[in-house]
Amino acid sequence: MANGQNVGAVAVPATRATVRRGWADREGLQGFIWIAPAFLYLAFFIAYPFVMAIYLSLSSARVGSPEYHFVGLLNYQRLFADPTFWQTVQNSFVFTFGSEAIRLIIGLPLAFALNRTFKGKRLVQGLILIPFVIPIALSSLAWKWMFDSLYSVINWMLMRGGIISYPWQWLGEPGLAMWSVIIMNVWRGFPFSAVILLAALTAVPQEIIEAAKIDGAGPLRRFHYVVVPIIRPILFVGLLYSIVFSFTDFSAVWLLTQGGPYNTTHVFGTYAYNIGINAGDIGQGAAITLFIFPFLAAIVIVMLRFLRRE
Amino acid sequence: MTWQRAWRRLRRDYGPYLPLAPYLFVVLFPFYWMLITAFKRDNDLYNLTTAPFWFKEPPTLAHVKLLLEGTLFLTWLQNSLLIGVLVVIITLALALPAAYALARMRFLGSQTLSTGMFLSYLIPPTLLFLPLSQLVRGLGFTDSIWALVLVYPSFTLPFCTWLLMGFVRTVPREIEESAQIDGCTRLQAFRMIILPVIVPGIITAGIFAFTLTYQEYIYALTFVSASANKTISYGVTTDLIRGDVFYWGSLMSGALIGALPVAVVYAFSLDHFIHGLTAGALK
Repeated sequence: MANGQNVGAVAVPATRATVRRGWADREGLQGFIWIAPAFLYLAFFIAYPFVMAIYLSLSSARVGSPEYHFVGLLNYQRLFADPTFWQTVQNSFVFTFGSEAIRLIIGLPLAFALNRTFKGKRLVQGLILIPFVIPIALSSLAWKWMFDSLYSVINWMLMRGGIISYPWQWLGEPGLAMWSVIIMNVWRGFPFSAVILLAALTAVPQEIIEAAKIDGAGPLRRFHYVVVPIIRPILFVGLLYSIVFSFTDFSAVWLLTQGGPYNTTHVFGTYAYNIGINAGDIGQGAAITLFIFPFLAAIVIVMLRFLRRE
Repeated sequence: MTWQRAWRRLRRDYGPYLPLAPYLFVVLFPFYWMLITAFKRDNDLYNLTTAPFWFKEPPTLAHVKLLLEGTLFLTWLQNSLLIGVLVVIITLALALPAAYALARMRFLGSQTLSTGMFLSYLIPPTLLFLPLSQLVRGLGFTDSIWALVLVYPSFTLPFCTWLLMGFVRTVPREIEESAQIDGCTRLQAFRMIILPVIVPGIITAGIFAFTLTYQEYIYALTFVSASANKTISYGVTTDLIRGDVFYWGSLMSGALIGALPVAVVYAFSLDHFIHGLTAGALK
């Protein structure tokens, strides 16, 4: 009996190993075949256009004219001399990091509030995520209407509440317009931040918290010394994703302000669209979009390093 | 004293809900405002003398009527749904074998390819819309929804492959191996063992592909111009603004009805959605 079991235990792994080798022999070729469709597709629709963007940025390409030629770094020289471009760079950073900071600040208490059991939790969670799910193009219309120059309901509430004394021009005043765009971007994105944070918080073992409590750590110290170190990796990756999406955003800004007033809300996406499509100067537009790349590369390097270390 | 007692009772009975209330208000108010704007008469809409939060005149269907009869709204809706379904099919057809190969097979460059998959997810449409507009024109898809069907998988595919890889990895290798002992080929093992087990993953990937496609804006704006070829977000945000005139009532009703398909898909798949969201960002 014992003998028989023994034989079986030896025999099965042996067979498995042989079998595994049997499949593995063909894995080299098979792997390529399985992945080829996706690989070819991405090569053609991501890698190739990316190279094309670099070439276009060095050319005099224009919308509607089939002929263009190599112009070297001319497009870049023109950008460096263009004050609107520098304004765009600055706006992109203000927009991205302003939005991210506020998202975290208001997302964290929300994650804590959701990180307990109560009746209707699923419903609440579902409702909170709605701004993230509904196409921003559609919900931005509601914001455009709420920020309207004459019939803004936000102004109505603030004036009745005695907080402001005259109607603010949310989308028409240079400094304020950036705030308006950030407010909408925060509204759209904080549910995502909260869900990521919540996932991170649920990963913190309750016993550790209890142990810290018994050792006499107050809520703030528990958060700083126990919770933060555990959730840091998830927080970090979630934050980087979120930064990438804000930095490369087009539709939120385009639909609210189209980059105005006086270019004070132009970000890379909207300025590139304005120059590349509306003004028809594809070469110059491509040069603008390529300035996103060093930033993306930096984020990706940080991310990959971090993921390797974890 | 009574205030304090009332507050204490409130905290005791509704403790967990109190901090959530302001969030829910901020999240939901824009949608409430859309809803009420869509059905208010114009006079009522532009009258801010008293509180604007409810109807002062009887509600009207005039805005919805203008939307349905004065624009190509139903065509846009149809375009968006058709594009969404086709993109989901294309994405899954390409992503499933790729995810399986990357999760299970070891071959030359498989590591590099899976990193590449992750990186291509981070290359945004903002960086690619100009060359892609040239590319689709070169392929002969000027002003056509097929240009969008062709290009949209470029952002759904990396994400869905990444997501599905995670699901394939959860299937124990031993099951496949015993299938192989029984004489299955890779393809048979994939079809009969992996696919049925990862159905939740396939649903999640499908939902994401659909919502991402439905939300897309810059490619549609760049590749398409005829009203009949527009998608829902593009059509609603452009065709109801004529010169300086914003048809607010119709804009809001268009935005609300246009958002319905995603809202429905989302409501029926909340758990899948949240799982995908966290998995996509965390794996």
